[in-house]
Amino acid sequence: MKNNSNVTIKTEFTDWTGYWDKVSTMAAGGNLPDILQQDYAYINQFQESNQLADLTPFIEDGTIDTSNIPESIIESGKIDGSVYALSLGSNAPMMVYDKEIVEKAGVTIPEQPTIDELYEIGQTIYEKTDVLTYFDGGINMIQFIARTTGSYLFDELAEGTADSSLLYFTSIAKFSDAKFCIPANLLVEKNPEVVETKPIIDQTTWNDFCFSNQFISVSSTAGRDFGICMWPTTADAAAQPEYLKPSMFFSIAETSKNKEAAAKFIDWFTNSEEANEILMGERGIPINTEIADFVKGKVDDVTARVFDFIARVTEIAEPIDPPSPSGFSEVEELGKRLVETLRFGEINMEDAANEFVTVSKEILEEAAK
Amino acid sequence: MKKNSMTPKRKRTIGQIMNRKEVAGYVFILPFLIGFLGFIILPMLVSFGFSFTRYNILKTPSFIGLENYITMLTSDATFWKSFGATLYYVIFSVPLRLIMALIVAMLLVKSTKLSGFYRAVYYLPSIIGSSVAVAILWKRMFASDGVINALLQSIGIPSTVAWLGRTDTAIWTLIVLAVWQFGSSMLIFLSGLKQVPVSLYESAKVDGAGGIYRFIKITLPMLTPTILFNLINQIINGFMAFTQSYIITQGKPRDSTLFYTVYMYQNSFTYGKLGYGCAMAWVMVLFVGLITFLLFKTQKRWVYYES
Repeated sequence: MKNNSNVTIKTEFTDWTGYWDKVSTMAAGGNLPDILQQDYAYINQFQESNQLADLTPFIEDGTIDTSNIPESIIESGKIDGSVYALSLGSNAPMMVYDKEIVEKAGVTIPEQPTIDELYEIGQTIYEKTDVLTYFDGGINMIQFIARTTGSYLFDELAEGTADSSLLYFTSIAKFSDAKFCIPANLLVEKNPEVVETKPIIDQTTWNDFCFSNQFISVSSTAGRDFGICMWPTTADAAAQPEYLKPSMFFSIAETSKNKEAAAKFIDWFTNSEEANEILMGERGIPINTEIADFVKGKVDDVTARVFDFIARVTEIAEPIDPPSPSGFSEVEELGKRLVETLRFGEINMEDAANEFVTVSKEILEEAAK
Repeated sequence: MKKNSMTPKRKRTIGQIMNRKEVAGYVFILPFLIGFLGFIILPMLVSFGFSFTRYNILKTPSFIGLENYITMLTSDATFWKSFGATLYYVIFSVPLRLIMALIVAMLLVKSTKLSGFYRAVYYLPSIIGSSVAVAILWKRMFASDGVINALLQSIGIPSTVAWLGRTDTAIWTLIVLAVWQFGSSMLIFLSGLKQVPVSLYESAKVDGAGGIYRFIKITLPMLTPTILFNLINQIINGFMAFTQSYIITQGKPRDSTLFYTVYMYQNSFTYGKLGYGCAMAWVMVLFVGLITFLLFKTQKRWVYYES
């Protein structure tokens, strides 16, 4: 930082779950770093407990220049009319697939398959190549399926309705019963939640679910290029479930003593050609439209495909769900536990869906206290 | 009470106070005392207080009495599952580790030129065994395409078992890892073995006692204090095991390897239910305390003290 010699930036690397464990512990101890990355799923909880500084004054006085940033993006980091987080780019749910295997099986993957189509494709691929199929078992997929009916999962859970959850667990059961799907015990070892162990990396499966900002790291871990499409929707979807998500946010901690410098850093990160020439869209497509054009001309093929993908999603995307409520992580973990139980064949889909809804309701009520 | 130490008024210089033997002792253990009180006792007391609160990590705690304890013991199925998994792990890993340690200690007790080297080599796993690096290595070894299956295949067993993916085998990978770390118990056994008077063996030999007989009648009884010490130490260690479960299996599959400490960690930091986590910690303290107490109670029946 040659322009700000009095500022030193210390960075730390962690994985996703480790990060949130760490950040919440730091928050409890009152020693959050000046700048922290935030995510759409967590921003509410942190703001509610006054951990995040209001960025509005810095935007108003021009420390963070927002003149080339679309209002909708600023909006995504707003809570109760104030900006608490600035998105670093846009992101969308993405399914990646192994081109070589798909080609060998002679199938084509639609831009957005239906869940039934994915099932059939998986079957064909297994018959032709012996490669397995994976169907996502995370909370994002439950929300995604809820969105096909125009519903918001956490509203359903608060009311105790099981519609979307049942739809979701039905799909999980359908796929885990099929012999062309990756068996539960192999999923434990080839954990899709960690990029390095994703089953697509060593061609155990031909497909995988991720978000578009992970595409670069998945490709580079596997050392090959993948095909991309949107997450599968339902055959009778009433609404388009695909959405654009603010990929990551920068927030300033309320406890920070260097808010001004932190704001300057965020400005540099979002608005300078210098910073974005280094980032090259790694955090998602730059939110500053001029910078996005600038970066677009320079990126490699892999990143360019992500840019194109986002452009296609932008045309059809429906607005994202509201930020998740407190208790989100426990509901997420509950969902994963039930999916695993279902995949191991120790519960049926109705019971799994009902338990998910009843227990989630309790968790959310408890967390709101 | 000693009279002269009570006599007041006579001023002592700091030097005189410092020169008294007891004071010198306290000064020497002061760094430890400060650490023990400040970093162990105080946080423990604080956590005891928090265990009666609803303490979302990002909010201020509010008092809820025994609710955490009641929820845990009556309606948290995962709590019992993690408790069961930990108990299973301790019940199998501790005796196996001690047997392993004793066997290797018996082999190493004879002094040869290389015994120092062997001791170091066998102690090594104890140092590195609970590290993240070994945890990740372990995960790879027991993968379906890992080295364990490759070894089995090379001796003609066509194994493609996903060891970590089956509820019946996953915990055993962790138990095997624990047994491998027998080094510290081994060292303690070694010193115990060296204290057995040679004269006992000699007279036993004269009386015509064979090797196994000598082991059962002399070595084992003489070692019982060491065994008790090792047993208690290892049981406490076993209940505290964390890294293995957290890194290698993340409690999977089906929570069959979800150690108590990992579930406690999840509650405290992932779910942000710090009060609940503190309550869990105290249940663990009480349980381990109880086990230790019971073991001490039984020592009259089987532990032999020479004096």
